[in-house]
Amino acid sequence: MHEFNWGLLIVVYLFLGGLSAGLFFAAGLANYLTVDDKPVYARIARMGALLAPWPVAVGSGLLILDLGNWYRFYKLFTHFRWESPMSIGSYLLSIFTAITFVYLFSWLTAEERAWLFGKVPASWKQVHRLNVDISSWREKIAMVGFPFSIGVGIYTGVLLGAVSARPFWNTNLVAQMFLFSALSSGAAALLLAMVLNRKSPIEKHETKFLVTLDVVFISLELFIILPYLIHGQLSSLAVKQALSLILGGPYTFVFWGPFMVLGLLVPLAIEVYELAPSIFKGREFHGSRNLALTAAGLVLMGGFLLRYIFVYAGQVSSFRQMGMLN
Amino acid sequence: MAMKKKRYALVIDSRKCINCKACAVACKAENDVPVGNFRNRINEERKGEYPKLSIDFEPEQCHHCAEPSCVRVCPTGASWQRKDGIVLVNDGECIGCRYCMLACPYDARYFHEEDGVVGKCTLCSHRVDKGEIPACVATCPSKVRVFGDLEDATSRIHELLATRRYRVKEPQTGNGPQLYYLL
Repeated sequence: MHEFNWGLLIVVYLFLGGLSAGLFFAAGLANYLTVDDKPVYARIARMGALLAPWPVAVGSGLLILDLGNWYRFYKLFTHFRWESPMSIGSYLLSIFTAITFVYLFSWLTAEERAWLFGKVPASWKQVHRLNVDISSWREKIAMVGFPFSIGVGIYTGVLLGAVSARPFWNTNLVAQMFLFSALSSGAAALLLAMVLNRKSPIEKHETKFLVTLDVVFISLELFIILPYLIHGQLSSLAVKQALSLILGGPYTFVFWGPFMVLGLLVPLAIEVYELAPSIFKGREFHGSRNLALTAAGLVLMGGFLLRYIFVYAGQVSSFRQMGMLN
Repeated sequence: MAMKKKRYALVIDSRKCINCKACAVACKAENDVPVGNFRNRINEERKGEYPKLSIDFEPEQCHHCAEPSCVRVCPTGASWQRKDGIVLVNDGECIGCRYCMLACPYDARYFHEEDGVVGKCTLCSHRVDKGEIPACVATCPSKVRVFGDLEDATSRIHELLATRRYRVKEPQTGNGPQLYYLL
Protein backbone atom coordinates (compact mmCIF):
# COMPACT_ATOMS: atom_id res chain seq x y z
CA MET A 1 0.00 0.00 0.00
CA HIS A 2 1.19 3.46 -0.79
CA GLU A 3 2.41 5.50 2.14
CA PHE A 4 0.93 8.95 2.62
CA ASN A 5 3.55 11.53 3.44
CA TRP A 6 1.07 14.34 3.78
CA GLY A 7 -1.93 13.55 5.93
CA LEU A 8 -4.93 15.09 7.60
CA LEU A 9 -3.01 17.97 9.20
CA ILE A 10 -2.07 19.21 5.75
CA VAL A 11 -5.67 18.82 4.55
CA VAL A 12 -6.94 20.84 7.51
CA TYR A 13 -4.26 23.47 6.98
CA LEU A 14 -5.03 23.85 3.27
CA PHE A 15 -8.70 24.25 4.17
CA LEU A 16 -8.12 26.77 6.97
CA GLY A 17 -5.62 28.81 4.95
CA GLY A 18 -8.10 29.03 2.11
CA LEU A 19 -10.93 29.83 4.51
CA SER A 20 -9.07 32.85 5.90
CA ALA A 21 -8.27 34.04 2.39
CA GLY A 22 -11.96 33.78 1.51
CA LEU A 23 -13.11 35.51 4.70
CA PHE A 24 -10.72 38.39 4.17
CA PHE A 25 -11.70 38.73 0.53
CA ALA A 26 -15.43 38.77 1.26
CA ALA A 27 -14.97 41.15 4.20
CA GLY A 28 -12.82 43.51 2.17
CA LEU A 29 -15.28 43.44 -0.70
CA ALA A 30 -18.23 44.09 1.63
CA ASN A 31 -16.38 47.12 2.96
CA TYR A 32 -16.09 48.62 -0.51
CA LEU A 33 -19.69 48.20 -1.58
CA THR A 34 -21.89 51.14 -0.78
CA VAL A 35 -25.46 52.12 -1.63
CA ASP A 36 -26.03 55.87 -1.82
CA ASP A 37 -22.58 56.34 -0.24
CA LYS A 38 -23.65 54.33 2.79
CA PRO A 39 -21.68 51.22 3.70
CA VAL A 40 -24.67 48.86 3.80
CA TYR A 41 -22.56 45.75 4.32
CA ALA A 42 -20.42 47.14 7.14
CA ARG A 43 -21.59 44.43 9.54
CA ILE A 44 -20.46 41.72 7.14
CA ALA A 45 -17.13 43.46 6.74
CA ARG A 46 -16.69 43.65 10.49
CA MET A 47 -17.64 40.02 11.03
CA GLY A 48 -15.25 38.93 8.30
CA ALA A 49 -12.46 41.06 9.71
CA LEU A 50 -12.97 39.60 13.17
CA LEU A 51 -12.97 36.01 11.89
CA ALA A 52 -10.33 36.10 9.15
CA PRO A 53 -7.08 35.83 11.16
CA TRP A 54 -7.98 32.79 13.25
CA PRO A 55 -8.27 29.94 10.74
CA VAL A 56 -4.98 30.81 9.07
CA ALA A 57 -3.27 31.23 12.45
CA VAL A 58 -4.46 27.81 13.60
CA GLY A 59 -3.67 26.31 10.19
CA SER A 60 -0.11 27.65 10.22
CA GLY A 61 0.33 26.15 13.66
CA LEU A 62 -0.79 22.74 12.36
CA LEU A 63 1.56 23.11 9.42
CA ILE A 64 4.48 23.65 11.78
CA LEU A 65 3.41 20.69 13.94
CA ASP A 66 3.38 18.49 10.85
CA LEU A 67 7.08 19.10 10.23
CA GLY A 68 9.54 16.39 11.20
CA ASN A 69 11.45 19.01 13.18
CA TRP A 70 8.86 21.63 14.10
CA TYR A 71 11.31 23.83 15.99
CA ARG A 72 13.28 24.28 12.79
CA PHE A 73 10.39 26.05 11.07
CA TYR A 74 12.28 29.34 11.38
CA LYS A 75 14.61 28.01 8.70
CA LEU A 76 11.81 28.69 6.23
CA PHE A 77 12.50 32.37 6.85
CA THR A 78 16.28 32.26 6.81
CA HIS A 79 16.15 31.14 3.17
CA PHE A 80 14.32 32.39 0.17
CA ARG A 81 14.00 29.96 -2.70
CA TRP A 82 11.89 31.36 -5.50
CA GLU A 83 11.69 27.98 -7.25
CA SER A 84 10.01 26.35 -4.23
CA PRO A 85 6.28 27.02 -3.90
CA MET A 86 6.55 26.21 -0.21
CA SER A 87 9.20 28.88 0.33
CA ILE A 88 7.18 31.54 -1.48
CA GLY A 89 4.05 30.31 0.29
CA SER A 90 5.49 30.62 3.77
CA TYR A 91 6.38 34.27 3.19
CA LEU A 92 3.01 34.94 1.59
CA LEU A 93 1.22 33.25 4.48
CA SER A 94 3.11 35.24 7.14
CA ILE A 95 2.47 38.57 5.45
CA PHE A 96 -1.18 37.71 4.90
CA THR A 97 -1.65 36.65 8.53
CA ALA A 98 -0.08 39.90 9.72
CA ILE A 99 -2.40 41.90 7.44
CA THR A 100 -5.50 40.05 8.70
CA PHE A 101 -4.57 40.89 12.29
CA VAL A 102 -4.01 44.56 11.45
CA TYR A 103 -7.33 44.54 9.61
CA LEU A 104 -9.04 43.00 12.63
CA PHE A 105 -7.51 45.72 14.80
CA SER A 106 -8.83 48.42 12.50
CA TRP A 107 -12.38 47.14 13.07
CA LEU A 108 -12.24 47.14 16.87
CA THR A 109 -14.33 49.76 18.62
CA ALA A 110 -12.79 52.12 21.17
CA GLU A 111 -14.23 50.01 24.02
CA GLU A 112 -12.85 46.79 22.56
CA ARG A 113 -9.43 48.37 22.20
CA ALA A 114 -9.62 49.67 25.78
CA TRP A 115 -10.47 46.13 26.95
CA LEU A 116 -7.64 44.62 24.93
CA PHE A 117 -5.02 47.08 26.17
CA GLY A 118 -6.40 46.73 29.69
CA LYS A 119 -4.80 43.27 29.66
CA VAL A 120 -1.37 44.78 29.06
CA PRO A 121 0.55 45.98 32.15
CA ALA A 122 0.42 49.76 32.41
CA SER A 123 4.21 49.99 32.63
CA TRP A 124 4.58 48.71 29.06
CA LYS A 125 4.32 52.21 27.62
CA GLN A 126 5.57 51.31 24.15
CA VAL A 127 2.76 48.78 23.75
CA HIS A 128 0.14 51.24 24.92
CA ARG A 129 1.25 53.70 22.27
CA LEU A 130 -0.19 51.25 19.75
CA ASN A 131 -3.69 51.90 21.08
CA VAL A 132 -4.72 54.15 18.21
CA ASP A 133 -7.81 54.36 16.07
CA ILE A 134 -6.91 53.13 12.59
CA SER A 135 -10.48 52.69 11.35
CA SER A 136 -9.82 55.22 8.58
CA TRP A 137 -7.21 52.82 7.18
CA ARG A 138 -9.67 49.98 6.67
CA GLU A 139 -10.05 50.43 2.94
CA LYS A 140 -6.33 50.84 2.42
CA ILE A 141 -5.57 47.72 4.44
CA ALA A 142 -8.20 45.80 2.48
CA MET A 143 -6.67 47.01 -0.78
CA VAL A 144 -3.19 45.87 0.28
CA GLY A 145 -4.62 42.61 1.60
CA PHE A 146 -6.58 41.61 -1.53
CA PRO A 147 -3.58 40.43 -3.54
CA PHE A 148 -2.25 38.58 -0.54
CA SER A 149 -5.57 36.85 0.15
CA ILE A 150 -5.79 35.81 -3.51
CA GLY A 151 -2.16 34.78 -3.29
CA VAL A 152 -2.79 32.54 -0.28
CA GLY A 153 -5.89 31.06 -1.94
CA ILE A 154 -3.96 30.30 -5.12
CA TYR A 155 -0.76 29.18 -3.48
CA THR A 156 -2.39 26.27 -1.67
CA GLY A 157 -3.24 24.94 -5.13
CA VAL A 158 0.15 25.81 -6.62
CA LEU A 159 1.83 23.90 -3.79
CA LEU A 160 0.24 20.75 -5.18
CA GLY A 161 0.09 21.76 -8.85
CA ALA A 162 3.82 22.42 -9.06
CA VAL A 163 4.71 18.80 -8.34
CA SER A 164 5.44 17.40 -11.77
CA ALA A 165 5.81 13.87 -10.40
CA ARG A 166 2.11 13.65 -9.42
CA PRO A 167 -0.08 13.75 -12.54
CA PHE A 168 -3.25 14.18 -10.47
CA TRP A 169 -2.00 17.58 -9.30
CA ASN A 170 0.20 18.67 -12.12
CA THR A 171 -2.24 20.86 -14.01
CA ASN A 172 -2.67 24.59 -14.01
CA LEU A 173 -6.34 24.21 -13.05
CA VAL A 174 -5.74 23.07 -9.48
CA ALA A 175 -4.60 26.51 -8.34
CA GLN A 176 -7.78 28.21 -9.62
CA MET A 177 -9.95 25.40 -8.30
CA PHE A 178 -8.51 25.87 -4.83
CA LEU A 179 -8.81 29.65 -5.09
CA PHE A 180 -12.52 29.65 -5.93
CA SER A 181 -13.18 26.93 -3.40
CA ALA A 182 -11.42 29.12 -0.81
CA LEU A 183 -13.42 32.20 -1.76
CA SER A 184 -16.71 30.33 -1.63
CA SER A 185 -15.77 28.78 1.73
CA GLY A 186 -15.08 32.28 3.02
CA ALA A 187 -18.47 33.58 1.87
CA ALA A 188 -20.18 30.49 3.32
CA ALA A 189 -18.41 30.82 6.68
CA LEU A 190 -19.47 34.47 6.86
CA LEU A 191 -23.04 33.53 6.07
CA LEU A 192 -22.94 30.84 8.76
CA ALA A 193 -21.49 33.22 11.34
CA MET A 194 -23.96 36.00 10.52
CA VAL A 195 -26.98 33.70 10.65
CA LEU A 196 -25.86 32.09 13.90
CA ASN A 197 -25.23 35.45 15.55
CA ARG A 198 -28.48 35.86 17.48
CA LYS A 199 -27.47 39.11 19.15
CA SER A 200 -27.74 41.07 15.94
CA PRO A 201 -29.81 39.03 13.49
CA ILE A 202 -28.75 39.05 9.85
CA GLU A 203 -30.75 41.28 7.55
CA LYS A 204 -32.17 40.21 4.23
CA HIS A 205 -29.93 42.36 2.06
CA GLU A 206 -26.91 40.91 3.87
CA THR A 207 -28.02 37.33 3.30
CA LYS A 208 -28.65 38.18 -0.32
CA PHE A 209 -25.19 39.66 -0.73
CA LEU A 210 -23.41 36.63 0.77
CA VAL A 211 -25.58 34.14 -1.12
CA THR A 212 -24.93 35.97 -4.39
CA LEU A 213 -21.20 35.99 -3.70
CA ASP A 214 -21.27 32.28 -2.97
CA VAL A 215 -23.25 31.45 -6.11
CA VAL A 216 -20.66 33.27 -8.19
CA PHE A 217 -17.72 31.50 -6.55
CA ILE A 218 -19.32 28.03 -6.61
CA SER A 219 -20.19 28.45 -10.28
CA LEU A 220 -16.63 29.46 -11.08
CA GLU A 221 -15.35 26.49 -9.12
CA LEU A 222 -17.71 24.16 -10.94
CA PHE A 223 -16.56 25.46 -14.30
CA ILE A 224 -12.97 24.73 -13.35
CA ILE A 225 -13.66 21.23 -12.08
CA LEU A 226 -15.45 20.26 -15.29
CA PRO A 227 -12.55 21.34 -17.53
CA TYR A 228 -10.20 19.60 -15.10
CA LEU A 229 -12.04 16.33 -15.70
CA ILE A 230 -12.42 16.83 -19.45
CA HIS A 231 -8.87 18.00 -19.93
CA GLY A 232 -7.58 15.09 -17.88
CA GLN A 233 -9.46 12.60 -20.01
CA LEU A 234 -7.96 14.10 -23.15
CA SER A 235 -4.47 14.28 -21.70
CA SER A 236 -1.54 11.86 -21.63
CA LEU A 237 -1.96 8.37 -20.24
CA ALA A 238 -0.43 9.18 -16.84
CA VAL A 239 -2.96 11.96 -16.25
CA LYS A 240 -5.80 9.79 -17.48
CA GLN A 241 -4.73 7.03 -15.10
CA ALA A 242 -4.45 9.51 -12.27
CA LEU A 243 -7.98 10.76 -12.95
CA SER A 244 -9.26 7.21 -12.80
CA LEU A 245 -8.75 7.53 -9.03
CA ILE A 246 -11.92 9.62 -8.99
CA LEU A 247 -13.50 8.02 -12.05
CA GLY A 248 -13.91 4.46 -10.85
CA GLY A 249 -11.01 4.28 -8.42
CA PRO A 250 -10.98 4.45 -4.61
CA TYR A 251 -11.88 8.16 -4.41
CA THR A 252 -14.82 7.99 -6.79
CA PHE A 253 -17.55 7.94 -4.17
CA VAL A 254 -16.19 10.71 -1.98
CA PHE A 255 -15.58 12.87 -5.06
CA TRP A 256 -18.96 12.50 -6.71
CA GLY A 257 -21.21 11.97 -3.69
CA PRO A 258 -20.17 14.04 -0.69
CA PHE A 259 -18.07 16.55 -2.66
CA MET A 260 -19.68 17.14 -6.06
CA VAL A 261 -23.34 16.61 -5.18
CA LEU A 262 -23.54 17.53 -1.49
CA GLY A 263 -20.71 20.02 -1.30
CA LEU A 264 -21.22 21.82 -4.60
CA LEU A 265 -24.43 21.12 -6.51
CA VAL A 266 -26.89 20.99 -3.59
CA PRO A 267 -25.75 24.29 -2.02
CA LEU A 268 -25.69 25.85 -5.48
CA ALA A 269 -29.25 24.66 -6.08
CA ILE A 270 -30.38 25.96 -2.68
CA GLU A 271 -28.81 29.34 -3.26
CA VAL A 272 -30.17 29.68 -6.77
CA TYR A 273 -33.61 28.67 -5.46
CA GLU A 274 -33.34 31.42 -2.89
CA LEU A 275 -32.14 34.06 -5.32
CA ALA A 276 -34.14 33.25 -8.43
CA PRO A 277 -37.59 34.65 -7.41
CA SER A 278 -36.09 38.00 -6.45
CA ILE A 279 -34.06 38.21 -9.63
CA PHE A 280 -36.48 36.87 -12.26
CA LYS A 281 -39.89 37.65 -10.84
CA GLY A 282 -39.08 40.78 -8.90
CA ARG A 283 -40.38 39.28 -5.67
CA GLU A 284 -38.88 40.14 -2.34
CA PHE A 285 -35.88 38.07 -1.26
CA HIS A 286 -37.14 36.05 1.70
CA GLY A 287 -33.86 34.54 2.87
CA SER A 288 -34.74 31.37 4.76
CA ARG A 289 -32.53 30.93 7.80
CA ASN A 290 -32.48 27.14 7.62
CA LEU A 291 -31.68 27.02 3.92
CA ALA A 292 -28.85 29.50 4.42
CA LEU A 293 -27.44 27.39 7.25
CA THR A 294 -27.70 24.19 5.20
CA ALA A 295 -26.09 25.69 2.12
CA ALA A 296 -23.27 27.32 4.08
CA GLY A 297 -22.56 24.15 6.06
CA LEU A 298 -22.46 22.04 2.91
CA VAL A 299 -20.16 24.48 1.12
CA LEU A 300 -17.69 24.34 4.00
CA MET A 301 -17.83 20.54 4.00
CA GLY A 302 -17.25 20.55 0.24
CA GLY A 303 -14.26 22.85 0.59
CA PHE A 304 -12.71 20.50 3.12
CA LEU A 305 -13.42 17.40 1.03
CA LEU A 306 -11.92 18.95 -2.09
CA ARG A 307 -8.63 19.32 -0.25
CA TYR A 308 -8.93 15.89 1.30
CA ILE A 309 -9.45 14.24 -2.09
CA PHE A 310 -6.65 16.17 -3.74
CA VAL A 311 -4.07 15.63 -1.02
CA TYR A 312 -4.71 11.90 -0.74
CA ALA A 313 -5.50 10.93 -4.33
CA GLY A 314 -2.64 13.09 -5.59
CA GLN A 315 -0.12 11.19 -3.53
CA VAL A 316 -1.27 7.88 -4.96
CA SER A 317 -0.91 9.11 -8.54
CA SER A 318 2.46 8.73 -10.21
CA PHE A 319 4.08 8.16 -13.55
CA ARG A 320 4.76 4.55 -12.70
CA GLN A 321 2.16 2.14 -13.85
CA MET A 322 -0.49 2.33 -11.21
CA GLY A 323 -1.26 -0.91 -9.38
CA MET A 324 -5.02 -0.62 -9.56
CA LEU A 325 -4.94 -0.73 -13.34
CA ASN A 326 -2.98 -3.95 -13.60
CA MET B 1 45.59 22.27 -10.90
CA ALA B 2 42.09 22.73 -12.22
CA MET B 3 39.74 19.91 -11.27
CA LYS B 4 38.19 18.12 -14.19
CA LYS B 5 34.44 18.23 -14.29
CA LYS B 6 32.81 15.06 -13.01
CA ARG B 7 29.36 13.55 -13.46
CA TYR B 8 28.75 10.40 -11.50
CA ALA B 9 26.12 7.94 -12.66
CA LEU B 10 25.17 4.29 -12.47
CA VAL B 11 24.62 1.85 -15.28
CA ILE B 12 22.38 -1.06 -14.33
CA ASP B 13 22.27 -4.32 -16.19
CA SER B 14 19.09 -5.59 -14.59
CA ARG B 15 19.11 -8.88 -16.49
CA LYS B 16 22.02 -9.93 -14.30
CA CYS B 17 20.03 -9.27 -11.12
CA ILE B 18 19.16 -12.39 -9.11
CA ASN B 19 17.20 -10.55 -6.41
CA CYS B 20 19.61 -11.53 -3.63
CA LYS B 21 19.16 -8.07 -2.06
CA ALA B 22 22.81 -7.88 -1.05
CA CYS B 23 22.80 -4.30 -2.35
CA ALA B 24 19.98 -3.32 0.00
CA VAL B 25 21.70 -4.95 2.96
CA ALA B 26 25.10 -3.47 2.15
CA CYS B 27 23.52 -0.04 1.85
CA LYS B 28 21.78 -0.35 5.21
CA ALA B 29 24.99 -1.45 6.90
CA GLU B 30 27.13 1.19 5.23
CA ASN B 31 24.77 4.12 5.78
CA ASP B 32 23.03 3.16 9.03
CA VAL B 33 19.58 3.27 7.41
CA PRO B 34 16.77 2.92 9.99
CA VAL B 35 14.74 -0.27 10.26
CA GLY B 36 11.87 -0.25 7.78
CA ASN B 37 13.53 2.23 5.42
CA PHE B 38 15.62 1.51 2.36
CA ARG B 39 17.80 3.65 0.14
CA ASN B 40 17.71 1.13 -2.66
CA ARG B 41 15.32 -1.62 -3.59
CA ILE B 42 14.66 -4.29 -6.18
CA ASN B 43 11.43 -3.97 -8.13
CA GLU B 44 9.83 -7.23 -9.16
CA GLU B 45 7.63 -7.58 -12.17
CA ARG B 46 5.83 -10.87 -12.73
CA LYS B 47 4.42 -11.81 -16.09
CA GLY B 48 2.30 -14.69 -17.25
CA GLU B 49 1.05 -17.77 -15.42
CA TYR B 50 2.63 -21.10 -14.66
CA PRO B 51 4.17 -22.75 -16.63
CA LYS B 52 4.66 -19.77 -18.93
CA LEU B 53 5.88 -17.12 -16.58
CA SER B 54 8.79 -14.83 -15.95
CA ILE B 55 9.92 -12.43 -13.27
CA ASP B 56 12.04 -9.38 -13.97
CA PHE B 57 14.17 -7.88 -11.24
CA GLU B 58 15.11 -4.26 -11.49
CA PRO B 59 17.26 -2.56 -8.86
CA GLU B 60 16.40 1.06 -8.22
CA GLN B 61 17.55 3.91 -6.01
CA CYS B 62 17.89 7.69 -6.28
CA HIS B 63 18.47 8.55 -9.93
CA HIS B 64 20.64 11.57 -9.03
CA CYS B 65 18.77 13.45 -11.73
CA ALA B 66 20.24 16.19 -13.85
CA GLU B 67 17.26 18.43 -13.01
CA PRO B 68 16.18 17.08 -9.64
CA SER B 69 12.63 18.15 -8.76
CA CYS B 70 13.29 17.36 -5.08
CA VAL B 71 15.98 20.03 -4.99
CA ARG B 72 13.75 22.52 -6.77
CA VAL B 73 10.84 22.25 -4.33
CA CYS B 74 12.89 22.25 -1.11
CA PRO B 75 11.98 25.42 0.82
CA THR B 76 15.20 25.64 2.82
CA GLY B 77 17.82 24.40 0.37
CA ALA B 78 18.44 21.31 2.52
CA SER B 79 18.11 19.18 -0.61
CA TRP B 80 21.02 20.10 -2.82
CA GLN B 81 23.14 18.80 -5.64
CA ARG B 82 26.90 18.60 -5.79
CA LYS B 83 28.75 19.70 -8.88
CA ASP B 84 29.46 16.05 -9.65
CA GLY B 85 25.69 15.38 -9.80
CA ILE B 86 25.18 13.65 -6.45
CA VAL B 87 21.91 14.77 -4.81
CA LEU B 88 22.15 15.03 -1.02
CA VAL B 89 20.11 16.15 1.98
CA ASN B 90 21.76 18.44 4.49
CA ASP B 91 20.28 17.04 7.71
CA GLY B 92 20.91 20.23 9.67
CA GLU B 93 18.78 22.30 7.30
CA CYS B 94 15.97 19.77 6.72
CA ILE B 95 12.77 20.76 8.52
CA GLY B 96 11.01 17.50 7.63
CA CYS B 97 8.22 18.92 5.45
CA ARG B 98 8.49 15.93 3.08
CA TYR B 99 7.70 18.06 0.02
CA CYS B 100 10.72 16.51 -1.73
CA MET B 101 9.27 13.03 -1.18
CA LEU B 102 6.14 14.02 -3.07
CA ALA B 103 8.19 15.70 -5.78
CA CYS B 104 10.33 12.62 -6.46
CA PRO B 105 8.88 10.64 -9.39
CA TYR B 106 10.83 7.55 -8.28
CA ASP B 107 9.82 7.36 -4.61
CA ALA B 108 13.51 7.25 -3.80
CA ARG B 109 13.31 9.11 -0.50
CA TYR B 110 12.16 8.07 2.94
CA PHE B 111 11.28 9.87 6.14
CA HIS B 112 13.58 9.20 9.08
CA GLU B 113 10.98 9.16 11.86
CA GLU B 114 13.46 9.40 14.70
CA ASP B 115 15.46 12.34 13.38
CA GLY B 116 12.48 13.98 11.66
CA VAL B 117 14.42 14.45 8.45
CA VAL B 118 14.32 12.98 4.96
CA GLY B 119 16.90 10.40 3.97
CA LYS B 120 18.05 9.10 0.61
CA CYS B 121 20.81 7.43 -1.37
CA THR B 122 24.00 9.49 -1.27
CA LEU B 123 25.69 7.37 -3.92
CA CYS B 124 27.98 6.69 -0.93
CA SER B 125 29.56 10.10 -1.44
CA HIS B 126 31.80 9.48 1.59
CA ARG B 127 33.31 6.48 -0.19
CA VAL B 128 33.34 8.09 -3.62
CA ASP B 129 35.30 11.05 -2.25
CA LYS B 130 37.98 8.61 -1.09
CA GLY B 131 38.16 7.10 -4.56
CA GLU B 132 36.09 4.04 -3.64
CA ILE B 133 32.87 2.82 -5.24
CA PRO B 134 29.40 2.82 -3.60
CA ALA B 135 28.61 -0.07 -1.25
CA CYS B 136 25.77 -1.42 -3.42
CA VAL B 137 28.10 -1.56 -6.41
CA ALA B 138 30.94 -3.16 -4.48
CA THR B 139 28.84 -5.88 -2.92
CA CYS B 140 26.81 -7.04 -5.92
CA PRO B 141 27.77 -10.66 -6.66
CA SER B 142 26.55 -10.59 -10.25
CA LYS B 143 27.94 -7.14 -11.06
CA VAL B 144 24.60 -5.59 -11.97
CA ARG B 145 25.66 -2.03 -11.19
CA VAL B 146 28.52 -0.16 -12.78
CA PHE B 147 29.54 3.11 -11.16
CA GLY B 148 31.58 5.78 -12.87
CA ASP B 149 32.15 9.26 -14.17
CA LEU B 150 30.30 10.08 -17.40
CA GLU B 151 32.82 12.82 -18.18
CA ASP B 152 35.67 10.34 -18.14
CA ALA B 153 35.91 8.92 -21.65
CA THR B 154 38.06 6.03 -20.46
CA SER B 155 35.54 4.81 -17.86
CA ARG B 156 33.62 1.57 -18.08
CA ILE B 157 30.23 3.28 -17.94
CA HIS B 158 31.23 5.61 -20.73
CA GLU B 159 32.05 2.58 -22.84
CA LEU B 160 28.81 0.78 -21.92
CA LEU B 161 26.64 3.76 -22.77
CA ALA B 162 28.50 4.27 -26.04
CA THR B 163 28.17 0.67 -27.18
CA ARG B 164 25.01 -0.71 -25.60
CA ARG B 165 21.36 0.21 -25.89
CA TYR B 166 19.81 1.56 -22.70
CA ARG B 167 16.80 3.35 -21.26
CA VAL B 168 16.09 5.68 -18.37
CA LYS B 169 12.88 5.53 -16.33
CA GLU B 170 10.09 8.08 -16.71
CA PRO B 171 12.10 10.63 -18.70
CA GLN B 172 8.82 12.49 -19.37
CA THR B 173 8.93 14.01 -15.88
CA GLY B 174 11.80 16.16 -17.11
CA ASN B 175 14.07 15.22 -14.22
CA GLY B 176 16.88 13.91 -16.40
CA PRO B 177 17.42 10.66 -14.45
CA GLN B 178 20.97 9.29 -14.32
CA LEU B 179 20.35 5.59 -13.68
CA TYR B 180 20.93 3.97 -17.04
CA TYR B 181 19.27 0.58 -17.53
CA LEU B 182 20.88 -1.58 -20.20
CA LEU B 183 18.45 -3.31 -22.51
